[in-house]
Amino acid sequence: MKFIRPVAADVFGYSPFKAIHQHSEYCEIAIDLLVDQFEAFIKGNKEEILTLEKEIDELEHEADKIKAEIRTNVTKSLRLPVDRHDLLNFLTFQDQIINYAEHVCHMFTYRETKNIEKDIEKKFRQLLYKLNDIICKYEELIDHVAGLIATSFSKREITDVLEHVSTIEHAEHECDTVQIELHKLLLNSSLNPMDVILLRNILIHLGEIANSTARAADAFRTMILGR
Amino acid sequence: MTEILFILTLTASAYMAWNIGANDAANSMATSYGSKALTLRQIIFIASILEFCGAFFFGSRVTHTVGKGIVPIHLLDPHIIVIGALAAILSAGLWVTIATYYHLPVSTSHSIVGAMVGFGLAAVSENLITLESIKWEVLYKIALSWVISPISGAALAFIIFSLIRVLILSKMDVDRVEGVFKYLQVFTACYVAFAHGSNDVANAIGPISATFGFSETPAWVLALGGLGIAIGVATWGYRVIETVGKRITELTPTRGFSAEFATATTVISASYFGMPISTTHTLVGSVLGVGFAGGLASIDLSVVKRIIYSWVLTIPVAAMLTISIYTLLVIFL
Repeated sequence: MKFIRPVAADVFGYSPFKAIHQHSEYCEIAIDLLVDQFEAFIKGNKEEILTLEKEIDELEHEADKIKAEIRTNVTKSLRLPVDRHDLLNFLTFQDQIINYAEHVCHMFTYRETKNIEKDIEKKFRQLLYKLNDIICKYEELIDHVAGLIATSFSKREITDVLEHVSTIEHAEHECDTVQIELHKLLLNSSLNPMDVILLRNILIHLGEIANSTARAADAFRTMILGR
Repeated sequence: MTEILFILTLTASAYMAWNIGANDAANSMATSYGSKALTLRQIIFIASILEFCGAFFFGSRVTHTVGKGIVPIHLLDPHIIVIGALAAILSAGLWVTIATYYHLPVSTSHSIVGAMVGFGLAAVSENLITLESIKWEVLYKIALSWVISPISGAALAFIIFSLIRVLILSKMDVDRVEGVFKYLQVFTACYVAFAHGSNDVANAIGPISATFGFSETPAWVLALGGLGIAIGVATWGYRVIETVGKRITELTPTRGFSAEFATATTVISASYFGMPISTTHTLVGSVLGVGFAGGLASIDLSVVKRIIYSWVLTIPVAAMLTISIYTLLVIFL
């Protein structure tokens, strides 16, 4: 196959959009697993906690590889339909989602916590479900990329994206509310202070997942509008 | 002796035509394969027939420029012309083959023009003609057309795709629009094949046409060139179409249509003016034009640099190869 001049193909550069989508899928799966890990934590199922820790840790590692691949391949000679710096900036925020998920998965292994009060457990579950919801919405936002490219950024698609970003921002605000309530419950509970420290740390990091998702969505909007 | 040289020239021309079909024609047809507008079989069928038609019915103007427009053949005797034609076609064929092996984005048009300049310079060194008698003004025009053609392809493709984007893509369902353009792309695929045949056949038969003096290039020579290109597409081009096509699936029917229409229009205009331009470089320009109009997820501008390098390399290499082969032929015959 040596005697080929594939000149026409050489015009097409590396496209980072598929990889970005894959990366966002890993974020979603990681949050899903985090919910399972929380249930295992409540049940005190040590084995499952560790298995899930390993799974999330591996996912984060894979996501890092994708991030590195995008960063190495999006070079100056490429012309993308969006600004290169906007794209890399957006990627950094998206990557933080899975980074925080990974932090949390380790925290669940730090200490066995028994007798968590029912209302705290419920609120935690509520927060995790909210997180799940926000990340699903985020995933739908990233799905828009294909449509944006197919229509080469039609106004209609852009309007859809802007609406979608607002719903994510709204969901993040709801997460904040749950977080505040949970803080109050935790700091006024009769739990062992060590447990409170651990749970509060987890809580803060879960909040960061929501924040990062909202920030990534915001950076996505900047990227789409900044062209 | 002259007869033997003539037959050798004919053979080398046929090889060049085959190479053009196998690589250049295939590159321009691959855009229809990438967008899945046509199957590989359909593309080979369309390309073979329309490349031949383009070459046979509209190939004589560029052929005239390459064969008779650069070297003042009326000042040379027929034996020298046959030697020069053989040297030119051999060196262009050799260079294109070497460059293909190293995956350089060379143009057969640039190679043959460089080779003909080499022939002219060799004749000058033998004091058969003067340096001034080489038709430099034609060469300036050709060089200018090489710069203009990719830019024209880019500009046209930019305009066409922008119109499609604003008037159609933003208002209607994307999948439906692409479905309609699949059919339109059948037309542009034919258009590209015809345009390509009409321009690039000269790269194969230009030198041999010089041996017929100032009379019209015989139809059978044009037919031979067209046939060579058609066979090149059918026997080797399909591999190139597959390789290139698989890498350019991003070029959906609306994008493919824009790039093909822009390329074919530019190339056929060049054929009308008798300018031997590079179809592949024009196609590269057109695809970049679609990209600049926001139609592609990613275009790599480093290809432009590589094209310019091989441009600068091709002209002197082809000229010097021709001078060497010409000298050897003169010494040993």
